[in-house]
Amino acid sequence: MTVTHLRWTAVAAVLALSLAVAAQAPPLTVLSREGRKPLPITAINNLDYVAVDDLNSAFGTSAREDRLAGGLTISLRGRSIVLTVEQNVVSVSGRLVNLPSPPVRRDNRWFVPVEFLPRALSLLLDTRLDLRRPARLLVVGDVRVPRVVARVDAGITNVAVTFEVTPPTEARVTAQAGRLVVQFEADVLDLALPSLPPQTFLTGLTAGDTPNTVVLTTGPRYASYRVTTSQADAGSGRLTVDLLPAATTDAPAAPAVAAPDARLVIPSQAPATGLRTVVIDPGHGGEELGTQGAKGTLEKDVTLSVARRLRTLIESRLGAKVFLTREDDRTVSLDDRSAFANNHQADVFLSLHANSAVRPALKGAEVYFLTVERADEEARKRAGDQATTLPALGGGSRDIDLILWETAQARYLEQSAALAGFVEQALADRVEMSPRAVRQAPLRVLVGANMPAALVEIGYLSNAEQETQLASGSYQDQVAQALLDALIKFRGFLEH
Amino acid sequence: MNIKLPRKLTPGQWAAIAAGTAAALLFAWAVIGGLTRVLNTPAPGAAIDAPITAPSALAGPAVPRIKATLYFAAEDGLRLVPAERDVPLAVGAVAQARSILEAQLSAEPAAPLLSTIPKGATLRGVFISARNEAFVDLDPVIRTAHPGGSHQELMTVYTIVNALLTNVPNLQEVQILIGGQEVDTLAGHVDLRRPLRKNEGLLLPPTSTPTPPSPQ
Repeated sequence: MTVTHLRWTAVAAVLALSLAVAAQAPPLTVLSREGRKPLPITAINNLDYVAVDDLNSAFGTSAREDRLAGGLTISLRGRSIVLTVEQNVVSVSGRLVNLPSPPVRRDNRWFVPVEFLPRALSLLLDTRLDLRRPARLLVVGDVRVPRVVARVDAGITNVAVTFEVTPPTEARVTAQAGRLVVQFEADVLDLALPSLPPQTFLTGLTAGDTPNTVVLTTGPRYASYRVTTSQADAGSGRLTVDLLPAATTDAPAAPAVAAPDARLVIPSQAPATGLRTVVIDPGHGGEELGTQGAKGTLEKDVTLSVARRLRTLIESRLGAKVFLTREDDRTVSLDDRSAFANNHQADVFLSLHANSAVRPALKGAEVYFLTVERADEEARKRAGDQATTLPALGGGSRDIDLILWETAQARYLEQSAALAGFVEQALADRVEMSPRAVRQAPLRVLVGANMPAALVEIGYLSNAEQETQLASGSYQDQVAQALLDALIKFRGFLEH
Repeated sequence: MNIKLPRKLTPGQWAAIAAGTAAALLFAWAVIGGLTRVLNTPAPGAAIDAPITAPSALAGPAVPRIKATLYFAAEDGLRLVPAERDVPLAVGAVAQARSILEAQLSAEPAAPLLSTIPKGATLRGVFISARNEAFVDLDPVIRTAHPGGSHQELMTVYTIVNALLTNVPNLQEVQILIGGQEVDTLAGHVDLRRPLRKNEGLLLPPTSTPTPPSPQ
């Protein structure tokens, strides 16, 4: 191929690009102190472009074309941006700014890619322009536009509406006739609302009459609500509105109903203590069946069923957020399970399993927390002779030696030991325990958990009687209730 | 656009390019060959899994045997109980470790004791590092035939670990491999990514240990 050929190919490619189909795309919404207005978008070569004349009318800039040089100058108050057709570098008052694609001139109009707005135009205006592509928003200046993503979790006895708010923003919940209004301390919300799951607590979840509110339209089962706030992750807050039925039967503590005009602050710093988020890990799943009873009961099914029951109980009675490492019958690696808990900044990690033994007579529930080993004598010396005291069945306490190791779980071993103690006590009140009810073992799923963690073997599937129990809803409910009791005690321990 | 195409090369330039390419190929061959040899060389002091040089290979009445402590599930199913068995004497730690593991994997204890090893589980190899860590490589059958459960997995793992650490002098730790690979766990619970030490906690206290006589 000669140089001439190459040149012609390049020219042909440029022509093909400029002849590519342009189409109207949904407009951007420009949010400023003056309100909101649309900014038309044109799709050129499948990229979002803005016409320069539209920019001029939206932002008060002016443009002058130099046809001879094939350039355009956009000016405001003595400052200017110089564009050249098919060049994706523009000059803003002498400073070069890269664009992902070059400006396009067609039908006597100039078009710039949308990234031109935050990268170049913001320098000219000397104002922050925040382009939020998923929401098709352009936020001008210091307008408070938190991103609010809502989620609806339907339980058997409640419905929880959770708002993840970035950045953390104050909110106020007000009860009005047939609806709850959540008002955020913001000018406008960058709002993402889900569709509602089938339930009868909530009939609508919509943007409110003012741009900073969300409205929950309540349904026939709704009687009261409760609001909790927490830190979601770095830079995000979480607000949960629990919709509760008229009568809760055997709730240990009646849920506190928020005052009609409760003012809430979503914390921007993680609170020091408490039990706000629980991650439950239903053991095994998918291709990993776990152990199996003689009648065919699968561990993976039992653990998922108990986990779901426990989630419902915790959400309705404890007001904490609950996440399951798997929601259905799927394979999840052991690393992903503890990573899931870490990512959700869980305050407690409970892994649920069913046990097996070669001796069919062996039965009862067991609770494990992590033991760690290391050949390295230095690590052993560093660990020293640390001991902790954990509550024992029937009152009193017993000492357990801890061997620390450089794992995420290592610094929570004392709390995990306490957690295991509370779980053992609570289970013993409701179900049969194994002769060795609290044990320490090098269990893989606990190693990486960066919070107090325990693994609960809720019974032996290798025992015929226990297989029947484990498959029954009533036994699963007893186990879930016992684990809730243990978490309530553990919450007291954490807050003590 | 300003693209410079290469000029036509003189025969001298072609020769230089050919010589350079040949030298690069030779160098790559030498490096790869050397690396392979280095990788195949055992670390200094490491013992290799050698065939058993002991008379066990002859398997006759004249084979010298030693008393070894093997482990089984106690009557309660909850603990491991030690039991003495005769196993073939072998020369060297690696061969003796292999002899003990083979006996442990295949042992059928007398009632009321039970084996903690799934049926059909076999040994692929053993080696011992310079740091006195034993690496036990098991056939994948031990995983596919394992019933699961944290308790039973602990029993199986520590039967193997305890049997080696009790009988082979100077061994410090045991790491279990499956099918020649390091593994996360055997059945989804016990962390096998690192060597394990002897577990005394699973053992029945010696005072109440029923040690039935070896069936041999």
